[in-house]
Amino acid sequence: MSSALDTSSYDTATEATAPSRNEEAPVDRVFSYQELARLDEALTMSSRETGLRFTLYVGELRTPTRAHAEELHARSGVSPADAVLIAVSPGQRVVEVVTGAGAARRLPDRACALAVLSMTSAFGAGDLVGGIVNGLRQLSDQAGHPAGLRPTH
Amino acid sequence: MFDAEWYLVFAGIPLAITAVLALLTLRPGKDRRPRYKPGQPWNYGPVWYEPHPAHVGGGSEHGPAPTHGPASVPGSGTSALGSSMYPEQPGERPLETEGGAGPAVASAGADRPHGGATAARIPSPAGPLGGARGTW
Repeated sequence: MSSALDTSSYDTATEATAPSRNEEAPVDRVFSYQELARLDEALTMSSRETGLRFTLYVGELRTPTRAHAEELHARSGVSPADAVLIAVSPGQRVVEVVTGAGAARRLPDRACALAVLSMTSAFGAGDLVGGIVNGLRQLSDQAGHPAGLRPTH
Repeated sequence: MFDAEWYLVFAGIPLAITAVLALLTLRPGKDRRPRYKPGQPWNYGPVWYEPHPAHVGGGSEHGPAPTHGPASVPGSGTSALGSSMYPEQPGERPLETEGGAGPAVASAGADRPHGGATAARIPSPAGPLGGARGTW
């Protein structure tokens, strides 16, 4: 009697297809939707302003963490030279910022270290998303807005 | 003067108001996930967020920008999301050479071949890398 009410739609997924919606983990398992929206806006706006490509990795890093972060950075897009990877491993309490060759010209290591310092101080207080958003803001402020991206009018 | 009515008005009503406010503020919320504290283990799978593709230029097409391919890691079974809110569709992901490119979030143990039929990306060398490292 009650089983008819309990059923939910189930997409049929085979071995050749992607997992169905029911099998996928919920998107907001790590961060809430509000936090995801903040991260999304920070990543997108800093990437659009600077022309660099900021990506954010949150999860475990193999030791040595620097080598793993650089390996991730090499796969972070089609042109890794202009990519900036922020890899945060909350379990290991490590944050790595990796900049490609083109991005490093506009984001020197000292600027990255300053952004990392502000991120770690926020992480130490338990504010993961706020630290990431502030670090992204600092990095994009430092990288600036190239003239080629400004609208011509 | 200090009769029952006095106690009821000057002690009972403030206590009742305090109790109602305490219930409203201290009750466990529906969506309250455990807050991250430094030092506690991180029991979530790796997630990789990437920005929205930029729709710049006056082109008529509204698809994702072709210059930005999705990011994926063959070894750790993770790949970048199209965005944090709207995950990329599985068909847009490249098929890695090792066949281990996982879906968006935290199903690294799945053994079914994920990913579309696009060819494997060959990342161009990024040159000397810079950056910084921090611990907390």
